[in-house]
Amino acid sequence: MKRGILIGIVLGALLLSQALYVVNEWEQVILTQFGRPIGDPVDTPGLKFRIPFIQDVHRFDRRFLEWSGEPEELPTSDKVFIWVDVYARWRISDPLRFLENLRGEEDRAQTVLDDILDGETRNAVAKHRLLEVIRSTNREAAIDPTQTDIQVSLEAIELGRGAISREILLEAQGKTSELGIEILDVQFRRINYGESVRPDVYNRMISERRRIADRFRSEGQGEQANILGEMDRDLKLIQSEAYREAQTIIGDADAEATGIFADAYDQSADSRSFYEFLKTMETFRATVAKDTTLILSTEGDFYRFLKGSTP
Amino acid sequence: MPFETRGPAGGPKIELPDFSRLTKNLGSLRWIVVVVVIVLVLMTSFYTVEPEEVAVVLRLGKLVREESPGLHFKLPFNIERQIKVPIQRQLKAEFGFRTVRAAVDSEFTTRGLGVESSMLTGDLNAAVVEWVVQYRIAEAEKYLFRVREVEDTFRDMSEASMRAVVGDRTVNEVITVGRQEIEDQVKIVLQDLCDEYQTGIRVDRVVLQSVNPPDPVKASFNEVNQAEQEKERLINEAQAQANQIIPRARGEAQRTVQEAEGYALDRVNRAEGDANRFRAFFEEYRKAPEVTRQRLYLETLGEVLPKAGRKLVIDDSIDGLLPLLNLDGAGLSAALQGEDR
Repeated sequence: MKRGILIGIVLGALLLSQALYVVNEWEQVILTQFGRPIGDPVDTPGLKFRIPFIQDVHRFDRRFLEWSGEPEELPTSDKVFIWVDVYARWRISDPLRFLENLRGEEDRAQTVLDDILDGETRNAVAKHRLLEVIRSTNREAAIDPTQTDIQVSLEAIELGRGAISREILLEAQGKTSELGIEILDVQFRRINYGESVRPDVYNRMISERRRIADRFRSEGQGEQANILGEMDRDLKLIQSEAYREAQTIIGDADAEATGIFADAYDQSADSRSFYEFLKTMETFRATVAKDTTLILSTEGDFYRFLKGSTP
Repeated sequence: MPFETRGPAGGPKIELPDFSRLTKNLGSLRWIVVVVVIVLVLMTSFYTVEPEEVAVVLRLGKLVREESPGLHFKLPFNIERQIKVPIQRQLKAEFGFRTVRAAVDSEFTTRGLGVESSMLTGDLNAAVVEWVVQYRIAEAEKYLFRVREVEDTFRDMSEASMRAVVGDRTVNEVITVGRQEIEDQVKIVLQDLCDEYQTGIRVDRVVLQSVNPPDPVKASFNEVNQAEQEKERLINEAQAQANQIIPRARGEAQRTVQEAEGYALDRVNRAEGDANRFRAFFEEYRKAPEVTRQRLYLETLGEVLPKAGRKLVIDDSIDGLLPLLNLDGAGLSAALQGEDR
């Protein structure tokens, strides 16, 4: 009797453990009965019930899932080879179809996505110029106050990176919807120049920088010449103004002195002759030195006095 | 004490096995089981949430509540289970480099991470950009249940955002002037993507680390810097020269003017002095012109004659002497020698 109860409990527990199952917050479940899907997908979490031993539980992720493309070297429409690396997010939007078409295996889905997305990426890149894949908007380059003359303007685009990745997304979405998976977003993760293009790009960058460097140097030399020229001009201005002022002052003083002399000496015929006499004497005094030979005539004043005074 | 049972009619004693020990043992076994069960229940019913965390509690797979830091109770045996998420902690993702050892002098490596950091700018140049994204988990529920491999997704989004923003700027903006603006813009773009994917992540800051041109081009970028500095240097030198020369010239100019002013004062004062002296002299001279004139003449001669080296006195009545006096040195000395004898 007791044993019967015990067996009953064990069997019941076994049955229950087969009948009950847990759906996690991030899962969705499809029940199949002998391989045939039964009812709607279970997409609410919690404790669920199934018919034990007959129904199987298939769990699928309900979250956004990752897809990462292999980097590929592709030519753009302007024949530049670039490495393109794309990623996408997708989810199992219709678990029933997912189960039917891909046997509910994520690996299969990844393979399908590889084929579709790689292909669409290749198409999209080949259709557009490099610039369209790189730029997103027609934003103007910010003006660098130190390099006003050396601005590199950004070339305008028609579509841009965002539009092209949407193009890939739309194309791919059309091809995956019947598989029960939905691609939510495709983004260019990495774009880089291919090895064959790099030397050209680097050379272009180098020559561009050289140009800017030359420009700086010549600007510096120009500015230096300008400053020195200005300095020379200022110097000449200062010196000549000083000269003008000094000469004017000297001239005025000379004029004034001349006036003063004239007033004093030019009073009368007498004053004029006296001045003349005084000046002659002064000059006489100033011009006779040790090596001077004086020739005195006896008819001159000096000897005239001597002669006259002879007793 | 052995347990003895007597037969009802004083029959023979039946020796029974020692049940008492067994039941006793059974009793203690039951207790052990009870204790173990209680311990298990307790162990699986309590958990602590650290200060920077939040715990998301699932009851049989279904989200039922979130718990803040502290000691909490839950239903035992994984009927309820908790997932702890560090929502207060600032997390960091590095791109183009990795911190090998974080310390005061941290070590970094960039080996093999070139693919992460090399990108194209809007003027189709190449640049090597390293950056850091600081972020937090703002909503634990979204972080856990909306996206699988959130960290990888977040890294992918960061790279895509950075490249989209750098792709819209010139290499010059990326490397020099536009850094702050790029950080701000990437933060906006990345946050939009995070919201779109419902990652529950809040981006705190995007910080550009070293941003460089590719190695083969670096030298020419340095050349630009050097040229820029050379430009500054030339300008500074010229200005220094001007600053040295112009003030000195100003001072010299002032000196020239002041010297002229000195000359003028000197000239006028002397002229007035001379004039006054002449006037006074003339005043007296007029009283006795002849005498004064002769006195002055003789005084002058008296002063001058001793100074002169040789004197010749010539009588006008002797003719033909002057032609003899060949007034160059030789003739003169010959004539004079003859005279001395």
